[in-house]
Amino acid sequence: MVIEDQNKDIEQLIRDLARKLLKEKEVDVILGYTKGTIPLTSLPIVIDKVEDVDKLIWNNLCYINLAKYLVPRIPTLMNEEGQKLKVGIVSKGCIGRALIHLSVEHQIDLENIKIIGIPCNGIINRKKIEDEIGEREIFEISVSGDNIIIKGEDLEQTLPFNEYLNDLCKTCQVKSPPSIENICVGECLENPVIEDDFSDMTEFDSKTPEEKWEYIKNLLDTCTRCYACREVCPMCYCNLCFVDQNQPVWFGKTTAYSDIFTFHLIRAMHMAGRCVGCGACSSVCPMGIDLNLINRSLEKIAKERFNFTSGIDPEALPPMMAFDMEDDQEFMMEED
Amino acid sequence: MEQKVLKKDQIVKLYNDLVKDYNFYAPIKEKRNIIFGKITNPEDIVLNYYNSKVPPKEILFPQTDILFEYKINGKEIEIEEPKKLDEKNIIFGIRPCDAHSFILLMNFFSQGEFKDEIIMNRRENTTLIGIGCNTPKSTCFCTSIEGNPFQKEDMDIFLVDLQDKYLVEGISDKGKKLIKRLSWLTDATNADIEMAQELGKKAEEAIVTKIDLKNIDKILDPNFDHQIWKEVSEICIGCGTCSFLCPTCTCFDVIDENVPNENRGRRVRIWDTCQSCLYTLHTSGHNPRNSCIERVRNRILHKFCYYPENYGMLGCVGCGRCVQLCPANNDLRAIIEKINKIEQKKEEKVTV
Repeated sequence: MVIEDQNKDIEQLIRDLARKLLKEKEVDVILGYTKGTIPLTSLPIVIDKVEDVDKLIWNNLCYINLAKYLVPRIPTLMNEEGQKLKVGIVSKGCIGRALIHLSVEHQIDLENIKIIGIPCNGIINRKKIEDEIGEREIFEISVSGDNIIIKGEDLEQTLPFNEYLNDLCKTCQVKSPPSIENICVGECLENPVIEDDFSDMTEFDSKTPEEKWEYIKNLLDTCTRCYACREVCPMCYCNLCFVDQNQPVWFGKTTAYSDIFTFHLIRAMHMAGRCVGCGACSSVCPMGIDLNLINRSLEKIAKERFNFTSGIDPEALPPMMAFDMEDDQEFMMEED
Repeated sequence: MEQKVLKKDQIVKLYNDLVKDYNFYAPIKEKRNIIFGKITNPEDIVLNYYNSKVPPKEILFPQTDILFEYKINGKEIEIEEPKKLDEKNIIFGIRPCDAHSFILLMNFFSQGEFKDEIIMNRRENTTLIGIGCNTPKSTCFCTSIEGNPFQKEDMDIFLVDLQDKYLVEGISDKGKKLIKRLSWLTDATNADIEMAQELGKKAEEAIVTKIDLKNIDKILDPNFDHQIWKEVSEICIGCGTCSFLCPTCTCFDVIDENVPNENRGRRVRIWDTCQSCLYTLHTSGHNPRNSCIERVRNRILHKFCYYPENYGMLGCVGCGRCVQLCPANNDLRAIIEKINKIEQKKEEKVTV
């Protein structure tokens, strides 16, 4: 089936399930996406009325991980009496993974959520599109057949859909949320098995440590420390981030190289075995920094060392939360 | 007023003439982004651009600005003289909205009891050679803020892009003097001047985003506790993109960085943002702006209520960066629209 037909089907699935959940009072609100106000965006939306269900959409620009809106750090969806609302959340695979992992880390209560599972067909990489179009304004982006159609002033360009997807989406094995009884509705994966496929990492892994360091230095040096990557990440829910510690100050706050790297690399450490590979951090970076390879490296290490993939099994403890006497310790290297 | 012509292939000559006396800043492409960079090779200058991603405010007010360095001798602290402040800058290619933002920045940095001499000095030593916007973006709304894509009043020299050349007009005395120095510039013809006027009209018509800001400060003032703040902050993720990339945001933090194991350090000014949880966090642990609701409200009130109250003009220049770049697409235009509706509801009540 061509992409645009898939999108229509997914959209219909979302609206049908949302209508049913609201009508039957299974949830108080639906958290989903609606059309963005400018091209290359989508807009998160909370609806509480059956008649608003048709505002919900699905397209390949729904890049925000909606699980973020349920973590304690952002004001949780409450009613006027201050009670937590029961939320139906439109969930592509990585949103489902985030919800499961947040539940494992005791940050959310799945009992209070209905996961509206949808078979995600990939998120368009906004940066690649912008690189391709350059300094010309895009007025409209749509999907036709297996192509992306971009229209602007004196501009009409057709780009192959598959080439302009996020790299993470190309290797994604969890298109729909893993199924949890009584929590999930819609299309979900029963007992997903994650294969080892890190062929996308071959080139990066063949680099020497020095080359990797150069790559990372070059990648991050335009960072303005707006922390959009952190704020959009469902796994970043600390009340006070390490980088914001100021009594006393833990890390430098300037845009000097060393300070930028400290933030990103320590954040990466905290993501090991936790990142759910949604790619929201890269999608939203205003400076166009793509953290994909760093995040994939973490996922690969967690998989290879601990056979762990985050957000799949609601019962499995992530490697950084568990301790085993048999754990490998060869990472303790002697200085040469 | 005498107007001149600068051919586009003469930009290199312009650069070579001025770089001896000025730091020459112009739009360049760095990685994926157009930014204002200090030019070392005039071939790097990008002339086909809408606007820079990071506003040129960073030249006056850098994100990381070393105020001074110090040495510690026992109980004595010796402050080392700040670096030279009299370097002259040219910002070539600044857009009218960003040039207007310099007025707003200086209102903050040069008025009142505390004057920021470092930034005042930089502004004094900076000459703006701006270019009108022939093709504004759909998110631009300068005309809603009493500006327009060809507004030249805030520049020293104003250029109009006439395809293969620029029409050059001296605006301030500083600008006129500089044009005299560039004696090789040729005179503009009447046809050039007419074409520029025509382009100006077209550009103004091309601004499609119109937002009503006439009464916004009056609407906002009594509605501090309105439920609208919960609505418009519901999807805010709480990052600092809107304020860091805003040409008019001026908040900063000052930190002392000591060099470990050496008795010296430096005092640094860095950008801060009212969207950060630390911004209003008290030492006691109490935070009066504890969530996105209060923070989003503060940003809107500051630009559209407090700033007009303090300085008699809106605290926004209509560049549209926050609209373009908000990760959650929390569109300022939509927020303003909702705010304007508060008033309408009130009026309805009155008529009933």
